[in-house]
Order: sequence, then structure tokens, then C-alpha cells
Amino acid sequence: MKYLNKKIEEIHTLLKEGKIKPIDLVEEAFENIENNKELNAYITLNKEEAIKEAKELENIEVDNLLFGLPIALKDNIITKGLRTTCGSHILDNFIPIYDATIVDKIKAKHMIIIGKTNMDEFAMGSSSRTSYFGPPKNPWNKEKICGGSSGGSAATIAARDVLFAIGSDTGGSIRQPASYTGIVGMKPTYGRISRYGLVAFASSLDQMGPMTKNVYENAVLLNAIVGKDEKDLTSANKEEEDFTRLIGKDVKGMKIAVPNFLMGDIVSDEVKNKMNETIKLLKENDITVDFIDVKYLENAMTLYQIIAMGEASSNLARFDGIRYGFQAENVKNIEDLYLETRRQGFGEEVKRRIMVGSYLLSGENAKTYYNKALSIRDDMRKELKNVFKKYDLMIGPTTVTTAYDLTDPMNDPRKSFMDDVLVIPVNMAGLPGMNIPIGFDQKHMPIGMQIIGNSFEEAKMYQLASFIEKELNLNLTPGGEE
Amino acid sequence: MTNYIPTIGIEVHVELKTKTKIFSNSKNGYGQMANSLTNVVDLGYPGTLPTLNEEVINLAIRAATVLNCKIRKQMHFDRKNYFYPDNPKNYQITQARTPIGYDGYVEINVGGTPKKIYIEEMHIEEDTCKSAHRGDKTLLDFNRAGVPLIEIVTKPCISSGEEAKAYLEKLRETLFYSDISDCKIEEGSMRADANVSIREKEEEPFRTKVEIKNIGSISNVGLSIEKEIERQKKLYENHETFKEQTRRFDDKLQDTVLMRVKETGNDYRYFPEPDIPFVVITDEMIEHAKEKIPMLPDERRKVYGEKGLLEANANKLIQNRSLSDFFNTLLEENIDFKIASNILLGDVSAYLNKEEKSITDTTLTKERFIELVKTYSDGTISSKNLKEMLDSIMESDKSIKDIMQEQGIENISDDAELKQIIHNIILENQESVTDFKNGHDRALKYLMGQVMKETKGKANPRIANEILLEELK
Repeated sequence: MKYLNKKIEEIHTLLKEGKIKPIDLVEEAFENIENNKELNAYITLNKEEAIKEAKELENIEVDNLLFGLPIALKDNIITKGLRTTCGSHILDNFIPIYDATIVDKIKAKHMIIIGKTNMDEFAMGSSSRTSYFGPPKNPWNKEKICGGSSGGSAATIAARDVLFAIGSDTGGSIRQPASYTGIVGMKPTYGRISRYGLVAFASSLDQMGPMTKNVYENAVLLNAIVGKDEKDLTSANKEEEDFTRLIGKDVKGMKIAVPNFLMGDIVSDEVKNKMNETIKLLKENDITVDFIDVKYLENAMTLYQIIAMGEASSNLARFDGIRYGFQAENVKNIEDLYLETRRQGFGEEVKRRIMVGSYLLSGENAKTYYNKALSIRDDMRKELKNVFKKYDLMIGPTTVTTAYDLTDPMNDPRKSFMDDVLVIPVNMAGLPGMNIPIGFDQKHMPIGMQIIGNSFEEAKMYQLASFIEKELNLNLTPGGEE
Repeated sequence: MTNYIPTIGIEVHVELKTKTKIFSNSKNGYGQMANSLTNVVDLGYPGTLPTLNEEVINLAIRAATVLNCKIRKQMHFDRKNYFYPDNPKNYQITQARTPIGYDGYVEINVGGTPKKIYIEEMHIEEDTCKSAHRGDKTLLDFNRAGVPLIEIVTKPCISSGEEAKAYLEKLRETLFYSDISDCKIEEGSMRADANVSIREKEEEPFRTKVEIKNIGSISNVGLSIEKEIERQKKLYENHETFKEQTRRFDDKLQDTVLMRVKETGNDYRYFPEPDIPFVVITDEMIEHAKEKIPMLPDERRKVYGEKGLLEANANKLIQNRSLSDFFNTLLEENIDFKIASNILLGDVSAYLNKEEKSITDTTLTKERFIELVKTYSDGTISSKNLKEMLDSIMESDKSIKDIMQEQGIENISDDAELKQIIHNIILENQESVTDFKNGHDRALKYLMGQVMKETKGKANPRIANEILLEELK
């Protein structure tokens, strides 16, 4: 009997009525993961501990919707006693001694951490192919990438191994793989979720978020992981709210903007056409959809590269082989230890970004590039916020194409950034953005749509997303059964 | 030899006396077991983030105030990026662009000439961890990592080792008295580096400067600066040039030695710390920080002078914070302050030193001390009596009167009785009387000695002295 392909409410009822136990779900999850081993979605499984926890839960009352449900965490989220690698050789022996705040929250809901998902090394990449542990594969077509950097989390959700996964999104790393794998991925407003325990890539952009097979479950998981955290000064102090509250509510009269940039020449016809079909659907349902010009969007990629790489070069300095992680052997002195540990420990893409980032912050460059980028980012944020004075939400495609071949060349970093060109503006402005599937291309690879909201208006995004999800009623299980 | 004008700038790091560290909730402590005061934040573990200790901001505002600095109302932190084993994140969180304090000064006095030492800026940062070298191994103690520091940077306006010493003494007592730091150089809670260059004329641009680091005491700062000035003079006299360099003071050699020649400007790749939002300093915060500033040394000196204390005594009191604070509780009383300071700095200090106690650890209350000063001032007890009573004064809570009674200390203050005794002594010591009349003051002391001998020390010295002088007329 399979349970993990059911809706969360059904599973909850079964658990509550004692018809199934958390251990059934955990065993099923590991069975699924084993069957889908080829996807390479996981770096580390938490088998023993998960089974132990599931058994312990048998003595505890089923007190919330997420109780006893398995969840997968991207491997840049710090888990006490459970190896956390960031997809890197430099941390492949790293067993943390504390839990991230998000992990505390997940444990407080009695969810069960099933394992740590595959990712681009230190979240740097857009196809998860920079992982030290090899790339995860797209459940829709194993020849294809599943995007990145949260590729493993996307793959395990798309393959229906588990219901819930957490990803992180610095420049699209939740939304873009969600788009490539046909799942729902939310990057909430910067500050919604504590970053304490998320291994930093670019501190001013990083944000974690839920990845699920449908909109409702996404909102339920978001409910569980948000909140001000004393340990993260950049976390926002907001009143508690239920992100599911607008799901299914009437969307008539909503005003939506489509920035022309998101529908420009860089977007493939197939994706554009599907997007236009969705826009048509919205209009037919009395939703206003306007195409508008939004300044600075075309600069977002440049700003992103400067800010993200600058911050990354500093954030990754701590991996020096002294206190934790991989340490190079047979070194001559401290300088040599630094050089060899980092030379052997980091992969090519990470090293490239550290070098570019260091250059961008060097001497006068800091003023010419980083500080300037910060100031243009402010202008861009204002420009985007302005849109929300007239519109409820913005929409557009999440990616310019559908998932491409795993064998496509990786040697052109600009192309890799092209994968994220539509999702990056959201990070620059700290806004919430999400992906929902809106259909398939001719090869039956998923196409995704991005919904962008004003700061802290995730509930409204779920409202529109749930409407589209219901209207399109797509079969989103790879292989087709459900 | 040509005359050279030295130019000296000083950077001082001071550890703030907070309960916890600046960016984590680990305890801020000294002398604890290595690595016992650390957590994942101090160790720079992946995923950890800094928090910001409000106590640090409060003390930094206070420091800016007592150093006469302007206070920046909106400030942020910056990352200073460099690899070093004592720097756990391989970046240090500091303030490069928006130091909390700027444009301040400290007033010093060297050889009777007052001078203002100008402070360029004062910023907040975290301390690094402590390394100890054992053979070819280096041990790291992270207890110090994340201890809050302020760095105080002067303008290049100091012109001698003497001035540098005076500046540091002044800085130390000011920060110590305002409860900002315990300023213990030997424990590293106050550390000074000096930048020294010399030139022939004021109009000439500054010449190559040398930084002197790791100086273990204030007097060595003075010494190392003087030595460095001499060294540079000799080089110029021999038409030699030298590169910008860092030297350290060697205790054994009593001289500076080369640490490293500076390469082209260090590139610390500063950028605003994205993990800590901008800090806004409100007028309320400034008022709050100022409220708790105790009376500072300069004001104490002024007040003590007004109360008739000798300058030396005033300075001695100020050197002992708890005695000075105790003394300050007496300022409104009607007592002889000179005598009060003499007793505190004399017998009381001797007792405290011997017992290794602070005055607050003894039973000597303000009220009992006032009684003591009065009893002494009117001659009811002698200095000899005081010494005999000292242990009881410091260790029991009995009144001075009760202690005198208990110990049978009872002075003869009866004029008639004393007169008779003194009269007899004068008759028996005519030789001394003649000496006295010939202007030998020693003779008076001898005669007083005889009075004390006769009365077994019980004569009220003040009254006896008066009668003696009367009789000698």
C-alpha cells in the first residue's frame, strides 16, 4: 500500500485514526528513494535516525498536519549529527554539532528528516552538475538536468519519494529546478525564514523555502518554518499568519502585471506560448493582466554576479581545513594548508566564483562594483515595489527553456546564468517568488510559471497559484500514474 | 646632528567589559580554561550568524563621549577579509567606513604644558583568538574570539615618547573610570601600537613610517618610541633609506626588532557586513550611556584639590579606584580631608595590601571611617593608637569608641594632669629647653617623646603639644 502519493489531509487522517504509523511512511519513503536511486537525489540518507524517530512518534499524539511526515533537506542546511556537505568535497566529512533554526522548527512539528538532498556545490550552479557527488537526474527524463542548485530536492519531490523538501534560493535555486521538474517551489520574502544554519552563499540574497508537489502543501509547510529568530538579525518580525488562508478564494478582479523583460526574446517560443495560454485563462476569469516595462530588470544579472560573488568570496573563506571539514595532508606550513585544502577541497565553479568575487572586492573595485551594485539594487527594489502600488502580483515564465540535457557543455558560465535570468530579479529585491507548473513542452518536459508578490504577501501568491493549479489540473506525476 | 621632528600616531585596542561577547552569547572572560568560553558562532561554524550585543553599543557610545568624540547616528559593520589562523571566519567584523566615534580628543599634560591629543576615529570590532606556539605547533584558544573591542586611533599629533606615555595613561584611567574596560595591559585588555616617523621641517611631507606592535607596558611604549626615533635619525644621518615596516618591542633587548617589511598596501576587501542590519543610534541611547558615567579622574583631581589634598595624595587615591570611590562618598561630610586621605593611603592601604583585600571587602563603612577621622583629628587617638586598633577597625563593625574602650586606649586629655607632668619634664630637661630656645626644633620632639614616655603614650598628642609650647615660652 502506498501513502506518500496521497494528499496530506488524507495521510493525516490515516495517522490520526491509527490506521498507519509514521514508520510506515518512513519505510515507504526509503523504499521510494531506493527505487529512484538512479536519480541521485540524495547525498546522505538519515535512515537509522529516521526510523528511530518514527518509532518514538508512536507514543506521541498526532497534533498537527505535518506530524510524522518525512521531509528532505537540501544539503546546505545544518543538521546536528547528520552529515552536511553542501555538495562539496571540502565538507564531505562534516558532521555538524548544532541544528539550523529551520531544523528546530521542522522537528517541533514532529516531521522526520529523511535525508540531505543533492545540490550544486555551495549552491553555485543552475543544473546541480557542480555537485561533488554527481548530478541528480530529472524524473521526467533521466537524460535531462533537474536544474539547480536545489536539484536534489526538486527531483525527490517530482519523483514522489516524499511530500516535502526544503530548498534554498539565492538566485533562483528553488524556482528554477521547480520549473524544470514540474513542482511547486516558493522562495519567500527575504527575512521570512531564519537563515541561521543555512550555510551562507550570498548572505543578502539567500533564503530557504518549501518545495512540494502542490500549492496547498507548500503553504502548509511554509506555515511551519517562518518566524523571527533571535539568532538571525536579518529575519523579519511579522505577525503569525496562515499562508493557506486565501487558497481557493475567488481571484476575480485581481490585477496582474507581466514585465516585458520576462517575455522577451531570450524566452523560447514553447515557453512563451504556454505562458500566453495561461494569461488567456486568467483574462477569461476576469483577471486584469497588463504587460508593463519595469526598469533595471535587465541589470539584475550583472548586479547579482557582483553581489553574490563578492559575498560568497568572503562567506567561503572559513573553509580553511583548520576547525572542520576536509584538511589537505602533507602541507609545509599554514599558507600551504590554506592553499592545498581549498585547491583540493573546492570544485572549479566554486573556485571561479571565489576568485571573481575577491577581484570584485579588491581595492578600488569594491567602490566601482560592489557598492555601486548595492546602490542600483536599491533603485531596482524601489522600481519593483512601485509596480505593486497598481498590481497585486507579477507573473512571467520561470525559465527561458525547459530542462536541457545533462551532457550539454558546462564551460560557458554566461549560459549557466541564463538559466536564472528570469528568477534573479526577485532575489535582488528581496521579494517572494514561486514557481507553479503550467504545462509541458513537446517532449513532455514541464514548463513553469513564476508568480512574484510584494514583500510578505505570499498568501496572495498562493491564492493565484491555487486557482491556476485547479484550472489546469495537470497530471504532474512523471510516468503518468496517479 | 640635524634636528628632527618626530610624528607619532597611536592605535589602541581596548576590550570592553561586557558580560557576553559582541556577536554571540558566549561569556566574555579572562583566564578561563582554553576554549571553554566558545560556541559555534565564535568558532565560525558554517551556517552561524552574528547577533549584536547591545551592551557593546552602549559602552562604545560611552567611550566616544568620554573621549570627546562626535557620535555617528547611523552606522554599519564591515567585513575585513584576511586569512589567519586566529581569525576563525577568515574575516573580522569591524567598522571601516562608519566608525561610531570621530573627531575627539584627550587632554594631557607633560611637564606642565597642556596639550590636546586628537582622536581621528574610534570603532567597534571583534577580537581574534589567541595563538600559542609550541615547537612547530600552534595552539588556538577561542575564548578571546569575539570579545568586543574598541579601537581608538589618534591623529599623527604626538611628538615624543613622553607624550605618548601621558596619552596612554590618560586614556587608560579615563576608560577604566568610566567602566568601559579594565584596561589591563598585562592581560591584553588594552594594547597599543605606535606609528613613528621623523622629518626635518614641519613643511616637509611625512617620511617613511614604522609601526611598533606588541608593546607590553605603557613605559615601554615611551621607550620604544624614543629608541625608534634614534634609530631613524641615525639612518638618515648616514644617508640610508628604509622601507615601511612593522617592528616589535623586545623586553630582553629593551629595543625594537624587525617583524616584517610591509608589502604594497594590504587589501582587506572591506564590504558592508550583510548579516547585521544598519544600527541607528538615538538620542535616548546616547543619554542612557552618559547617565552612568561615574566621576572621571580629572574631575576627581579638581575636587580633591579643592578639599585641600596634596596633588601627590590625590593622584595616589585615583590610582586606587576603590579607595577613590570610597573617598568620594565622604565629600559632603565635614571632616579634615587631608587627614582622611592620609589615613586611607597610609594605614588603611597598608592593611589592604597586606591582606590582599579591597576596601569594599572590609567592615570599614563610611560612618565608622568618619568617626575615625574625627577621633584622630581632635587628638583623641594617636597614630600609634590607630595602628593598634587597625585590625578591629577593618574587621569588626564596632564603633571606634567601643574599640578604644575594649583595647583600653584612653588618652590623657586632662589639662591639669598633663600640665603637671609637662612641668616636671621641663624642669628635668633644662638642656633641651635651652636647645629649643636656640632654635633646635629637634628638642621639641625629644621633649614630646619624654611626655609620651611618662604617660605611657596616653597623652593626647595635640593637647600635650600645645601645653608644652606654652610652658616653653
